[in-house]
Amino acid sequence: MHIPDNYLSPATCAVMGGAMVPVWTRAVRKVKAELSKVKIPMLGVGAAFSFLLMMFNIPLPGGTTGHAVGGTLLAILLGPYGACISITVALFLQALLFGDGGILSFGANCFNMAFVLPFAGYYIYRMIKNSIKSEKGEFIGMAFGSYVGINLAALCTAIEFGIQPLLFKDAAGQALYCPYPLSVSIPAMVLPHLLVAGIAEAVFTIAIILFIKRVSPGSFYEGKKEKNKSIYGLIIMLVCLTPLGILAAGTAWGEWGAEEISGLLSADGMTGFTPVGMQNGFSFNAVIPDYAVSGLPEPAGYVLSAIAGTAILIIFFKILGSLKKEKE
Amino acid sequence: MIMSEHHMGDHISQEGTDQQKKSAYTSSVYTIPDWLMASEIYEPQTERDTFVNKSILSVFSLLSKIKAQETNQALWYDINTPVNIAGTFLLLLLVALSKSFVFVLIIGVYLLAVLSTFDAPRLVRILKMSMGTTLFSAVIMLPAFLTGNSYSSIMIPCKVLISITIMGLLSQSAKWNSITGALKKFYIPDIFILILDIAIKYMYMLGELSLCLFQALKLRSVGKNKSKYSSLAGITGTVFLQSKEMAEDMYHAMECRGFSGEYHIIHKQRIRWKDIIFMVVNAGFIVLFFYFRSYQ
Repeated sequence: MHIPDNYLSPATCAVMGGAMVPVWTRAVRKVKAELSKVKIPMLGVGAAFSFLLMMFNIPLPGGTTGHAVGGTLLAILLGPYGACISITVALFLQALLFGDGGILSFGANCFNMAFVLPFAGYYIYRMIKNSIKSEKGEFIGMAFGSYVGINLAALCTAIEFGIQPLLFKDAAGQALYCPYPLSVSIPAMVLPHLLVAGIAEAVFTIAIILFIKRVSPGSFYEGKKEKNKSIYGLIIMLVCLTPLGILAAGTAWGEWGAEEISGLLSADGMTGFTPVGMQNGFSFNAVIPDYAVSGLPEPAGYVLSAIAGTAILIIFFKILGSLKKEKE
Repeated sequence: MIMSEHHMGDHISQEGTDQQKKSAYTSSVYTIPDWLMASEIYEPQTERDTFVNKSILSVFSLLSKIKAQETNQALWYDINTPVNIAGTFLLLLLVALSKSFVFVLIIGVYLLAVLSTFDAPRLVRILKMSMGTTLFSAVIMLPAFLTGNSYSSIMIPCKVLISITIMGLLSQSAKWNSITGALKKFYIPDIFILILDIAIKYMYMLGELSLCLFQALKLRSVGKNKSKYSSLAGITGTVFLQSKEMAEDMYHAMECRGFSGEYHIIHKQRIRWKDIIFMVVNAGFIVLFFYFRSYQ
């Protein structure tokens, strides 16, 4: 679901980034007012969860891959605004260090994964939880909220891809950016998420919340028993399991490189054509592109990336928490 | 009679003085002395006190660093100090010798993982130290980068960042007194340990003394005090004399208690599981170093 650079026109990127500005402003204000100094490092733990979940690629029908985001999970644990900030920072790190998701399309990626997903998921969860007042209702809410949330995010991504050939064409009528229209992009994005990735998201959400509620409810809810060791244990376990994410071969839909898409298009009967905007577009060299370190076997590079990402996110929010002044 | 005359004379003389007083009083009503009339507006020239303030701040930061050593909360990373020092030097050596970017990257990720478990104040202290020097070395390497030597201009700041972070980990996880104790294990001559030990202890006491002197200087200088810089010599001189006196006193006190110049370790830190894990991790780094020697 990470849109790379040059798939969206710069204009689309600007609009999506502009749409995120008020969301970010409000989220920062809300989190500042509502979250105590001690709980801010938990945003980092949340961001680390999301970062790791996005590394577990799941093979999808059609030869592409997808992944869970954990947006609803974070929204339930940290509130939707906290989740928005956590996922934004995780996405930023992915774009900057690992080349996963573009720099220009950062706003669009945030809109899909850090805004639509956690807010939709959270409010659906709340609605169901309030109407069915039992533990069962809560679980149904979690499952349904996370499932719908990730699918809505996939739908938004598909629409952003799909409107590109409608809006941005050169004189010959050929697409400048993403060449696939809505009729292709929506089924290609949404169907796999409905069938596989959405279920993975729901399973992850319920499993992790169950674990945290049983072991260390105080880590996220104020005034309850706190055992951060087990949360860190869970993170270490996820880090060790990340190489499973490489088992799924193939690139996620809409995340191909310029050569890959040229090959794909010729298979679709559009030989020798690479959209112009992609060919001479903006390119950014990440530190560890695609979580692979040259000279290291792929799983080792993956684990190294996972450790680095997790550690940076936790350190960042720890420092942020220490900077916050305690309210009188 | 004589008495009355005397009284009379007394009376007259008194009257005379009264009149004198009166005339003096009346004249002074109209002429207040000039120095009283002059309106007194003394505005001390503003002085920024840069040098005194800076000195006070730097002394304070040193003192707080030493104090922080005592009040630091416990840390899981309290590796047996001799092992910690040995590991630190090993890692520094490997990073300095390595030509492989992958190896440097692996060490960097390891340090990040360790750092992420530290508490925020320690984290900030370590990162401030390492980020500052890294920025400096990056600026120095800028000409090399612009002239096309991209390998070393990226590698050197990375190595600086990692080396300083390694040292930061050691200084934040081991107390200074345990570091001097650990030096004994490495067969460092006793005289060095003695000097280091006393230096660290006296840095604190002399720091407090010079802080008092600086504050006294600041209080006494109203407005522009041009001779402030000459007071600096006074402060250093006083601190030096005081330190000499204190050092002699302490050495005598130590001799009286039977100190013969030899150091003996009384509290032996035991080797625990985490120390063994630490050693294994470092041994792993040696293996990785040789494994990646062929890569650039």
